[in-house]
Amino acid sequence: MTPVGTESQLVIAPMLIVLVAAAATLFLGRHPRARAAVSLAAGVAYGLAVAAIDWYIVLAPGAPGIATYQVGDWPAPFGITLVADGLSAFMLTMVAVLGIGSLVFSTRHLPGGEGRSYYFPLFHFLSLGVTGAFLTGDLFNLFVWFEVMLMASYVFVAYSGGPQHTRAAFWYVALNLLASAVFLLGVGGIYATTGTLNMADLAQRLADPAAYGLEPVPVVGLLGMLLSVFAIKAGLVPFQFWIPTAYRAAPPQITALLAGATKKVGIYAIIRLSFTVFAGAEVAVDLPLPVVDAAIAGDSPLPFVGAALLVMGAGSILVGGIGAVGRDSMEGVFAYSSIGQVGFIAVPVGIAATTVDPALREFAIIAALVFALNHTLAKGLLFLAVGTVRSATGTSRFADLGGLAGRSPPLAIAVFIASLALVGIPPLSGFFGKFLVFDVAARARAGPVIVLLLVGSLLTIAYATRMWNRSFWGARTDAVDAATIDPVQVGVLAILAATIVVVGIGFDPVYEFAETAAEAALDTDAYVDAVDPQNASELGGSSGGDH
Amino acid sequence: MRTTARAIVPIVLVVAISLFVEGHNLPGGGFIGGVLTVTAFGIVYMAFGLDFLERGVLGREVDPGKGPSRDRVVLAYRRLFAYGFAIAVVSGLAPLVFERPFLTQTFVMLEGVPIYDHLEVASALAFDFGVYCVVVGGLLTILSVVGAE
Repeated sequence: MTPVGTESQLVIAPMLIVLVAAAATLFLGRHPRARAAVSLAAGVAYGLAVAAIDWYIVLAPGAPGIATYQVGDWPAPFGITLVADGLSAFMLTMVAVLGIGSLVFSTRHLPGGEGRSYYFPLFHFLSLGVTGAFLTGDLFNLFVWFEVMLMASYVFVAYSGGPQHTRAAFWYVALNLLASAVFLLGVGGIYATTGTLNMADLAQRLADPAAYGLEPVPVVGLLGMLLSVFAIKAGLVPFQFWIPTAYRAAPPQITALLAGATKKVGIYAIIRLSFTVFAGAEVAVDLPLPVVDAAIAGDSPLPFVGAALLVMGAGSILVGGIGAVGRDSMEGVFAYSSIGQVGFIAVPVGIAATTVDPALREFAIIAALVFALNHTLAKGLLFLAVGTVRSATGTSRFADLGGLAGRSPPLAIAVFIASLALVGIPPLSGFFGKFLVFDVAARARAGPVIVLLLVGSLLTIAYATRMWNRSFWGARTDAVDAATIDPVQVGVLAILAATIVVVGIGFDPVYEFAETAAEAALDTDAYVDAVDPQNASELGGSSGGDH
Repeated sequence: MRTTARAIVPIVLVVAISLFVEGHNLPGGGFIGGVLTVTAFGIVYMAFGLDFLERGVLGREVDPGKGPSRDRVVLAYRRLFAYGFAIAVVSGLAPLVFERPFLTQTFVMLEGVPIYDHLEVASALAFDFGVYCVVVGGLLTILSVVGAE
């Protein structure tokens, strides 16, 4: 029973903040103002906690780089470990920025209905699930946080209560129940194969299977099961079909979170498990893959992951891009665009997994993270803008929109900046994301991948331009003329747009942060050392002395 | 059905409570105890109808015009859910005051208790009680609202 250090306590702080906020807002059902105030306070506290994690654990000179927290004082690998390292911190920061924006937005525009008093508790549960998934160091616990996240998002998809929403929610629930079952099967299989679910312990055992008497080959297939589950969450082709309906059904400020945060949980889980945990597993691999001109052979399951991700990423870029061009509403375009953009994140991760060059691998993960950051900011902003347009005009269909630019220049400028960031125009954050992804493909000498990325970029320009022309330019429609645009919502959009510009102009520190995150993702030894899972046999006599 | 319910419900409730109480050391706990308690309520609902609790047990008048989610007993279920969640969170936070990690548990042996001789009072019981309330409150809300529709 060791006293807990300050850094350790920081690890759990963001989770406790949203947990307490969820409990508090449950009691404030009849006091909308107090509910909003508590939620905002929690949002600010959450932001501060994440900033403290960033600085004291990861970025400050002499910071440890990684900190752990043993929930309930049970030692690893028996108890649940929470781990905050560079990768977790990067993801948390990304989500915190968007989450606070969405929260402020929610205090201004709440869809009506009886469920209103449950909006904020659910919002906090959704944040709790996302935060927990980023911080946990235990595979089963990851499953639990996925479920927490899903429970809240089920309700949000069905929130408006119309027949269309109920239908979307039904499919969403059915698909995710199936995914959860596969996830659970995969987790069970890994436990049966390796005898542990603590990620650090898992990495340690897989790196030296002989010492633990295990046969690592089944792990490759089990990892494939987990990968497909994470691909569903991230919305990669062929698991993209639920995204358009679900994103249309949920309230826009929640869709911003679904696209900006829960999708990133899928990406995070792929990176964390593939590189930190399973990279060390010794499995002979021989896989013909002509696309990437790097040796596709190694002694770990990574090439399988890489090949799958490359194929899924390529499909996503094409399906998302082509689908987005033909949509007839703002959120339809952005939903398909999300599919394509996640493809842009998956491709560098795939290259990172297939290459054997450690420098390129790290660089590719940096590219994926920077692109993910841009996607969270830009797409989050765009979905929030859909919310503004919808609450102002009552519609987001192109047929009923037009001339928004003249009606509200600040709104138009914010959307314009986000669209440019999506396209990848310097000096915005999107430019660096896209530039790095192209650079990775070039360094891997993957000609077909570059062509694919080019096609994807052209499609992005096409649908962004079309969205802009249809809704912001042209003659004003009656709906736009009668609109009353909420200044606070536009303020949130402006701040997010400013963030996109600032990230682009002052890119160096962001790049360094992403670099730290990528190093943390690849440094299995540091991860294992920090968690320090004791050997079950070593503990034999001393364990359970507590109870 | 009603005769069986009269015999079964008390047994189910007793088993539920025993599962709940021994949960920290043996299989059981707040969740499973809660689910079993809800089963008992479910049997009552099926045998005596949805309004039985309001009218028969609590002796209140039921206004048939209101939506099911406005019933006083449903509001009570919702409150139970909220309080249970709060109890669980607070009991998890309590160890932080003693500079122990979140959710750390301990226990006290009470000696010389009549009948039992010694009784183990575990702090995990507080957390479990919270879980129990959440499960009972949540499931009964769903059961009564969806059941009425």
